[in-house]
Amino acid sequence: MGKIKIKNLKKTFGELEVLKDINLEIKEKEVVCIIGPSGSGKSTLLRCINALEEATSGTVEVDGNDITGAHEKINLFRQNIGMVFQQFNLFPHMTVLDNICLAPTALKIKSKDEANAIAMGLLKRVGLQEKAEVYPGQLSGGQQQRVAIARALAMNPDVMLFDEPTSALDPEMVGEVLNVMKQLANEGMTMVVVTHEMGFAREVADRVIFIDEGYIVEQGPPQEIFANPQNQRTINFLNMVL
Amino acid sequence: MDNRSLRRKSLSIPELIAQNWPRLLSGLGMTVEITIISLVFAAIIGLVFGLLSVAPQKALRAIALVYVDIVRGTPLLVQAFFIYFGIPMALGIRLDQNLAGVITLSLNAGAYLAEIFRGGIESINSGQMEAARSLGLTYGLSMRKVILPQAIRTMTPALINQCIITLKDTSLLSVIGVVELTQTGKLIIANNYESFKMWLIVGVMYFIVIMILSKISKQIERKMSYGKNKN
Ligand SMILES: Nc1ncnc2c1ncn2[C@@H]1O[C@H](COP(=O)(O)OP(=O)(O)OP(=O)(O)O)[C@@H](O)[C@H]1O
Ligand SMILES: [Mg+2]
Repeated sequence: MGKIKIKNLKKTFGELEVLKDINLEIKEKEVVCIIGPSGSGKSTLLRCINALEEATSGTVEVDGNDITGAHEKINLFRQNIGMVFQQFNLFPHMTVLDNICLAPTALKIKSKDEANAIAMGLLKRVGLQEKAEVYPGQLSGGQQQRVAIARALAMNPDVMLFDEPTSALDPEMVGEVLNVMKQLANEGMTMVVVTHEMGFAREVADRVIFIDEGYIVEQGPPQEIFANPQNQRTINFLNMVL
Repeated sequence: MDNRSLRRKSLSIPELIAQNWPRLLSGLGMTVEITIISLVFAAIIGLVFGLLSVAPQKALRAIALVYVDIVRGTPLLVQAFFIYFGIPMALGIRLDQNLAGVITLSLNAGAYLAEIFRGGIESINSGQMEAARSLGLTYGLSMRKVILPQAIRTMTPALINQCIITLKDTSLLSVIGVVELTQTGKLIIANNYESFKMWLIVGVMYFIVIMILSKISKQIERKMSYGKNKN
């Protein structure tokens, strides 16, 4: 039943221990929001799930695939794990359509025509059909992030990772991105979202995880975490951000 | 007028050009030919060693570093002598001077191009590689489809600059007997002693070719800037 299983995950950068002992199981269709102070290891944890960061010890499994020891196979496993970055990271030398079609066509999973059709469908979902032929530089931040979500979805992943997807956006554009994510959650996508948007976490998350200094300090349904936090560090953090 | 009186009388520049045009043109042809052939090989060498120099594996990076350091740490003239005289002597073979010239320039420009490639690749935000890899693309595919196309755009001015440098460097190959434009000038002057006017003519010929190249490069640069940013 566990879609993502993380066991005794540790991650160090040189002397710096960023993740100290993370144990976490995420169920299919679950939406998990990760909150915590800056530098607590949220991004590092997320990036260990698709091996953008190599775990120092411990294991990460996604869909029964061992991510930590995957070697060459990691490319295959990553096709099933979409990721959305704070800075969008769209490919500026390609049109929106080509951004979305790149992975399915370069990996020879879809023909050019199939990929185009899928991409147009995804652009419709994120409300940007009319932008298919423009370059990312001509889009607003919110539009770029919606394209980035469409690009990740083009590989038809089972799991989506979001690393502060709205933190680089002007406030008036946060809503349009969160709406796309809500829709995705409602469709049953398994999602892990690092976010400072407590409203989103409260509304959409099945579970909220509070991380501090490399440990999961507290976790539970959003109602409980936000209304009745147990740990003093959680209380302090929530007092600061709410 | 017979030949002897011709030689004694000082000729005007147009007359000198008219008289020596076929040789000058063939010298220029050799210069351009050696430049183009060397740059083709240098581009391949530069790409390979540029990729090595950003490889995740330390050993590969070290190989690229050694090559670039050797080329940058020695004069082109010494490299040409080493390849034309030194290596054939050690191996007991004979090397055609044009071939030696091409090898020298390819290896030399290859190292500088490797540095240009490295700089271009490193100038691309690491988020681009991460985004590509997160989609399941291999390292190689990510390089080819995402990093290099962007890197080459930022590299264009430096690439064209290196083309011009290599074109000028061909003149040094005159010392190993390659009959390119400079050597042609030398040979003509050995006949007519018109040093001032001939070097002026040769200089102008280089200048014109390089100006044409610069103009073309400006055009390419302009064409390459994609989807202008909104802000
Ligand atoms: N590649 C790296 N090399 C060295 N240190 C790193 C690296 N990546 C992250 N760190 C360090 O690890 C710690 C945790 O970083 P991480 O990005 O996971 O924090 P975060 O919780 O996502 O913070 P933020 O909310 O600011 O994004 C920080 O102290 C950071 O400086
Ligand atoms: Mg972070």
